[in-house]
Amino acid sequence: MFFTMMKGTFTKQWKKMLMIAVTVALGASIATAMLNVMLDVGDKINEELKTYGSNIVVQPQSEAVVSKLYDLDNDDITVDYINEEKTGELLTIFWHNNITDFAPEIATEVTLPDGETATLTGTWFNHHLEFYKKGMTYERDTGIINLRNWWDIVDGEWLDEQAVEGTLYAMVGKDLADAKGIKAGDELVLTANGVSETVTVKGIFDSGDDESATIYTTLPVAQKLTGKEGLIQKIEVSAITSPDDELSERAARNPNLLSGEERDLWYCTAYVSSICFQIQEAIPEASASAVRQIADSEGKILEKTELLMSLITFLSLLGATLGISNLVTSGVMERAQELALHKAVGATNVQITVLVLTETIITAIIGAAAGYFLGYAFAQIIGHTVFSSSIEMSGMVAFIVAVLIIAVTLLGSIPAIRMILRLRPSEVLHGGH
Amino acid sequence: MSSLLELKNVSKIYGDLHALDNVSLTVDKGEWIAIMGPSGSGKSTMMNIISCMDKPTSGQVIFDGDDITKYSRRKLTEFHRDKIGLVFQQFHLINYLTAVENVMVAQYYHSMPDEKEALEALERVGLKDRAKHLPSQLSGGEQQRVCIARALINSPELILADEPTGNLDEANENIVLDIFRQLHKEGTSLIVVTHDPEVGEVAQRIIRLEHGRIASKK
Amino acid sequence: MNKKRRMFIRMIAASLVRRRSRMVVALLAIIVGATILAGLGMIYYDVPRQMSAQFRSYGANIIFMPSEGTFISDDAIRSAISVIPSSELEGYTPYRYENTSIHNIPVTLAGIDFTSVQKTSPYWHIEGEYPSSDGEVLLGAKVALSLGVKTGDKISALNSFEVTDNMDVSTVPEYEMYEDPATGDVYCDHQLDLTVTGIVETGGSEEEYAYISLNDIEYLTLVKRGYDIVEVSVASTSDNLSQYVTKINSDGQLSAKLIKRVTASETEVLTKLQSLVFIVTAVVLILTMICVATTMTAVIAERRREIGLRKALGADNSSIVGEFMSEGIVLGGIGGILGAVLGYVFAQLVSINVFGSGITFRPLLIPITIVVSVIVTGAACLIPIRNAVNVDPALVLKGE
Repeated sequence: MFFTMMKGTFTKQWKKMLMIAVTVALGASIATAMLNVMLDVGDKINEELKTYGSNIVVQPQSEAVVSKLYDLDNDDITVDYINEEKTGELLTIFWHNNITDFAPEIATEVTLPDGETATLTGTWFNHHLEFYKKGMTYERDTGIINLRNWWDIVDGEWLDEQAVEGTLYAMVGKDLADAKGIKAGDELVLTANGVSETVTVKGIFDSGDDESATIYTTLPVAQKLTGKEGLIQKIEVSAITSPDDELSERAARNPNLLSGEERDLWYCTAYVSSICFQIQEAIPEASASAVRQIADSEGKILEKTELLMSLITFLSLLGATLGISNLVTSGVMERAQELALHKAVGATNVQITVLVLTETIITAIIGAAAGYFLGYAFAQIIGHTVFSSSIEMSGMVAFIVAVLIIAVTLLGSIPAIRMILRLRPSEVLHGGH
Repeated sequence: MSSLLELKNVSKIYGDLHALDNVSLTVDKGEWIAIMGPSGSGKSTMMNIISCMDKPTSGQVIFDGDDITKYSRRKLTEFHRDKIGLVFQQFHLINYLTAVENVMVAQYYHSMPDEKEALEALERVGLKDRAKHLPSQLSGGEQQRVCIARALINSPELILADEPTGNLDEANENIVLDIFRQLHKEGTSLIVVTHDPEVGEVAQRIIRLEHGRIASKK
Repeated sequence: MNKKRRMFIRMIAASLVRRRSRMVVALLAIIVGATILAGLGMIYYDVPRQMSAQFRSYGANIIFMPSEGTFISDDAIRSAISVIPSSELEGYTPYRYENTSIHNIPVTLAGIDFTSVQKTSPYWHIEGEYPSSDGEVLLGAKVALSLGVKTGDKISALNSFEVTDNMDVSTVPEYEMYEDPATGDVYCDHQLDLTVTGIVETGGSEEEYAYISLNDIEYLTLVKRGYDIVEVSVASTSDNLSQYVTKINSDGQLSAKLIKRVTASETEVLTKLQSLVFIVTAVVLILTMICVATTMTAVIAERRREIGLRKALGADNSSIVGEFMSEGIVLGGIGGILGAVLGYVFAQLVSINVFGSGITFRPLLIPITIVVSVIVTGAACLIPIRNAVNVDPALVLKGE
């Protein structure tokens, strides 16, 4: 009989039930979309912030210790080097997926044809890296085209390493190019340590800082000019990191002071300090340190964005919740007359309550399921319009939305049920309304 | 006495169902008629047609010499609010308006709301002291009297009452019938649809409907 | 006509006041919608301002450099800074560099103001404290390493120079000066004792300097001169920044430059963020509007019988539509006003919690919110009312 009555409700009252389902679906879709966007916004903004350039720098141990204070006379000091091949180790660390880009560098002073000197940096532009370790092959395309995306190419084009392999090319900073009258396509003779190389200028870049007074070339060219073949001086790394908190700050001071559990948590969180630690594990002869200027501001902006989004999400959830409970309430109230009839023919309060709740919750679940998929669509719309990439859907969200919807539906039914319990059948059936 | 209302061969057909089948009836001015019959006999359809809330499939309804079946919707609404007062079985008071406000709503749609007149109408049905109460604070009988006061307020030529005592106990039924008697004495025409023989007996004439036809006139 | 209007108002007031619980249901929906509109609207407009203040944790985004062969004077700084609105200026720090040696190791000293550097380089990680008085030094991490000193240690900086006529040597101890017997020139080995109050770690080239106060650097060199570079941190849009730079450069006293990597990335991220808030607002708003519409539909559907009765009492369709629409509009207006206030409160809360500063009040959003909620509620009522007035009163009044 219970099911017959319920079937009756769904066939005869389908319009009202549909309205409840639609509202629940709308609410659920807001909740789904907002929660997913909120959970993913950190990664998305982090990717955007990568435009700030590298946030970790890897240097040889002794380079980190002995300062570059002696920059002015390079010959006097011993600068240690890292083996270029070690760069590939970056692809093997725990958080390798968070490392978006990196580029090894070697720099030297070169003499230009007019006798003046300039800094020459050899690096990867868009290098195709293949690294073999323990039978595994790691591949990655990376280089400074991504790490220096604020560079304006004022003449010529980016040096495309994969297209010009084996040829000698360079890119010249705008300040230097202006001073020397260098244009894209020119040939330039560079001399250092008694070695000379002729390179073709592929493009002129404006970096807006000191780099505009320097020359960039491929790694082999710079290595040859310095006489340090197969060696590099530092690696710039750009990684997606989690904002620093109390744990990461303690870890940064001394990872050995953490308890085992804390240490695991720290190691498995993408803090800039744990990524640095893992890089040092992979390349023991190097020291990895955070570039504070970038790591800090990224952390701060990320934290603010996430907080902002969570508060907006909270407001939307509140709105959705109120909307749903509103409609559930009025939906049930509308049926007062019908429910009074049940009472008049002898239904107990409990029976009516169970009937109403079951019907409402079944409706809500159907609505919520539809809403989840609608919310998925909304999240993707947001992802593609704002970040031009998909929003990752989290399974947790489905669970949260389900719990939320059932709770809200039950909550919304409370005033209606209280009203049903107070109903006197005669009043409703004979009353003026 | 001249005739107020004349139904000429009125039929109302819903699909295959002949709710009213070729009915003719004349009501004189000041007359009190009861329409009786079992459910499904066409009472409500007849009531709706007389109250201008529905149009017949065929036949004519002549009110005061005018064929109202030819009226436009707008004219029909106007005509309806000038000439007819409705009394419902379920009272149909607006539940958020007080008794006197419910009466005033009828004035509002008819001409001009006037609280004094509305209170006088309530006084006529013996409810002056309940004027400021909401329907939910009134008993069934009181609600029905408010409904009658609302029907009276625009001095209609005809009062149509659909099962006016259907939801009332005997004491209240008598109060309502007393009011009807009073109205009848004052010259208002009354058509009362009922299946209560006692209520029917009070009328001057009883029309019995069966299967959409007039079975007997008395 | 007056009496009629009074009755009209009386009916609407009665409906709103006496059908309280139902009206509250509808009102809540409208308030939530209006709150979201006003709140997110204010946040949307304030995000660039608030966020660009956050971006200042990145530090300076403009630098001033001296014009060819000179130093930057205080006057030049003052006139350049006056171009930037003070509300947008986070801070500026002039730097004066001098090459000296500490314990026989060459070290570049930078003379700065330690209060302002905290504004322009907020990302500096200091182990210890910033110097608070003369005679104290902040060491770059790499300098500290190569000197092998730590916080609390005492070091002395040595500056050797030839004494010229315009130098005031009155503060220099006798024993630091000596004369070259061959040429008669006077030289000075000027020494300054310093206490290390902190070590700065940045991961960048800042670690390669030692920082002392401007007074100390003047004392050590005995030369009063301008600055080598000025770092300026401005919370503004990149368009404005370029304007300021162009204007400052046209004065010609010094040359200003945008730090491109900062400004370019900032604009990009800000644009993304703002469009994120915009789209979120739009999606949430559309959904809330639908919610308001369904709620209003439910509220009207409930009153079909009443509409039927009014028709039976002789009301024509237009007057019923008018009455119910007025109710909806009043409801929308009340909801809009409350929502605007709550939205402002919400935006303020968000702003204080997220950004630690109040939101900019945008008066225009208040009337917009009210008008939008009146329009939305009105529109949401119109369709169900139009459907409801077409019902046959006879059917409704006869019961289900």
